[in-house]
Amino acid sequence: MDRTLANFIRALRNSEVRISTAETLDAFNAVELVGYKDRAFLKRSLSIVLPKTADEKETFDNCFDQFFSIDDIRGETESAAADADEEHGDAEGGDGEGGGAGGDPDQQSRGANAASNNKKKKSKGALSAAEEAEEPDLGPGEMSEAASNLGQLLLLDSRVELTVAMAAAGEAVDLIEIQVFTQKGLYTRRIMEQMGLVDLNREISTLRDSDRVPDRRLGQELRRRRDWLREQIRDYVEKQFLLHADASGKRLREELLRKVKLSNVEHRSFRLIQEIVYKMAKRLSSLHSRRKKVFKRGQLNITRTLRKNMSYDGAIFDLQWKSVKIDRPKVFAICDVSGSVANYARFMLMFLYSLEDVMPKVRSFAFSSDLAEVTDLFDRNSIEDAIAKTLRDYGGGSTDYGQALQDFKKLCLDDIDNRTTIIILGDARNNYGDPRTDIMKELYDRCKRLIWLNPEPRSSWTVGDAEMRKYTAYCHQADECNSLMHLERVVGNLLRSVN
Amino acid sequence: MTEAPADIEKITASVEALKADFEDHSYICSDQIATAVYLAYHLRKPILIEGPPGVGKTELAKTTAEMFELPLIRLQCYEGLDEAKAIYEWKYGKQLLYIQVLKEALGEVLQGAKGFAQSVSRLHEFGDIFFSEEFLEPRPLLKALKEEDGCVLLIDEVDKSDHEFESLLLEMLSEFQVSIPEIGTVKATREPPIVFLTSNNAREISDALKRRCLHLYIPFPDVEMEQRIIHARVPEIPPKLRKQLVNFIQELRDLDLKKVPAISETIDWARTLLLLHTESLDPQLVRDTLNVILKFQEDIENVDAEISTLTSKAMK
Repeated sequence: MDRTLANFIRALRNSEVRISTAETLDAFNAVELVGYKDRAFLKRSLSIVLPKTADEKETFDNCFDQFFSIDDIRGETESAAADADEEHGDAEGGDGEGGGAGGDPDQQSRGANAASNNKKKKSKGALSAAEEAEEPDLGPGEMSEAASNLGQLLLLDSRVELTVAMAAAGEAVDLIEIQVFTQKGLYTRRIMEQMGLVDLNREISTLRDSDRVPDRRLGQELRRRRDWLREQIRDYVEKQFLLHADASGKRLREELLRKVKLSNVEHRSFRLIQEIVYKMAKRLSSLHSRRKKVFKRGQLNITRTLRKNMSYDGAIFDLQWKSVKIDRPKVFAICDVSGSVANYARFMLMFLYSLEDVMPKVRSFAFSSDLAEVTDLFDRNSIEDAIAKTLRDYGGGSTDYGQALQDFKKLCLDDIDNRTTIIILGDARNNYGDPRTDIMKELYDRCKRLIWLNPEPRSSWTVGDAEMRKYTAYCHQADECNSLMHLERVVGNLLRSVN
Repeated sequence: MTEAPADIEKITASVEALKADFEDHSYICSDQIATAVYLAYHLRKPILIEGPPGVGKTELAKTTAEMFELPLIRLQCYEGLDEAKAIYEWKYGKQLLYIQVLKEALGEVLQGAKGFAQSVSRLHEFGDIFFSEEFLEPRPLLKALKEEDGCVLLIDEVDKSDHEFESLLLEMLSEFQVSIPEIGTVKATREPPIVFLTSNNAREISDALKRRCLHLYIPFPDVEMEQRIIHARVPEIPPKLRKQLVNFIQELRDLDLKKVPAISETIDWARTLLLLHTESLDPQLVRDTLNVILKFQEDIENVDAEISTLTSKAMK
């Protein structure tokens, strides 16, 4: 029982619903209270306990439907009753097929199959004789109690409990480990066996030979339900495959993308990258965005001071201040979008954009030779538009760091003080122009931190027209940054120092 | 009132019973909402309710209190709310007054005491009387814990409070207790309160808080549900008009508006129309009463052009 829920939670986590251990415990308590019998009720209850945002609730709905899906057994059996004859024939064929699929890799199951198939064969003669002698369908009426566990479960008509049993069996045969599509037949067979197929088959054939009508009726019913169950399990395995194998595939892809160089990422992965960057930004911001409320200085908050000092007999010595927000940008980010970094520019801008999301006060600048502020542009447009517009307006030209630094100095040197962090994203390839290290020095002296993120590997920082060596002297920190992993590390460090 | 606990047992026996009882108190709720209250009661967990403004988040708490015949204690959150206003405060005035009055008695107590050390040790015998329950002014959270037969605690618009206050709530929500340094830990009495928190998502609630709560999202109701709500709240309104006005509101919600009308606005509008003795919607009437359902001039202007189309759609 509980393993089913644990598996479900695992599947939820795979689809990126964040569930803590405490919430898992809550879910167990809720299930204990609610039970597995009423599917809709269970869904409603779990949707209150587990997902905690509107987004997550949607994911949860899908996940739940996939995980606990199983067609209504009643409807199925009714339709089955209509063409019972056909069903009987199909059942035999289906059985053989299942045995074949499951048989080859697994010796044990082959043995079991053979045994059950033999039994069937033996009883087949008797069955056809019996069937000719009586009506094919015995119709509704008195029925004996099923003896085998699986038989009893099938007759219960509770699809959720059946799903639970199915899931438990799936757990026992390590269904979660399913990795390739072709394993589905094998796992279906294994689950059937785990749930007690052998016993059920034996019971069905015994019932068939019975003299009592209720027994035979039960036998027919059980056969129908067994076949139905097989279908259900096949579906179940397929869905589990989608749930587990697919999710781990996605994670693998993400993992890979984080490590691969940004310039090598194929175009079709851009969307995924964007997703990762956004997720990263969000996580970082939730880690670091603590609002600070108490300030050391400001306007005296008289009411609060009096209240606070009442406990000191009215002697005012614990002063309370009205908070004052310091309206000064804390981060200046300068991004090179020239031809030499064309491959990276997109990602640099993406980074810049997410940076604005993450950090409270960011002013962004872009340049190839002339530098301009793009903060507003980023504010007003969606990420795609902002990046496209920036690249259109400023991108593609030849690099002139000297000019860019000159512009930057003119634009906002006055705004830079000892609480400012400057980030420069670029390859420092200056086409042998004047690097204007004097401006760099000026910036370096004024600001709190100057960080240079270079997409090129450290080894080529001094090769050709790269001025990185000169610039490094005036940086507090100079890092290689060309994959999402680098980016995450850098931003993480940055936030720690900025906040 | 004396058999209130027994009542609660009966009401919370099943979700259906809960739902029926809510309806008796003219609060029409979906299965989802009833399930949330059911779980909250049985699992002893607070519920965090989110949803657009005006869908009945606060009303749910009020109705629950009414239904269980429990007192409702409400804490309205705002920026700058702190523990002195939410949990407890010392009655400073009373403390000062008592000190003044007791000054004379002090002489008697200290009579015969030799030396400073002895006097101090005599004073110690009295313990911290000035920091005892007598001088404690309980604020909503503490009050809720001290309620003998349980109560419904409504922490309204928790998203308006500061981060610090959220952390302050954590102890209360997970253990149903608060710690007062001078006295110790105050635990809930027999019946822990049923806690509702509401949020309009002005900012993201922290994960720590969310983890401790059940989470209920109340969306706008569908046509059928909204009709039933109007029926329960404004029973005098004729069925034909009810259908029309609900249809109209539902159409309105699909438009791109600054603030879409919520259930509370629908109810207000129904009352307005009732007051005007309206039989059926017509464009002129809608235009005249639009300011009941739309709260921004910008929205009113936008909708104005489409009133006749919307009205004729709603009349169908």
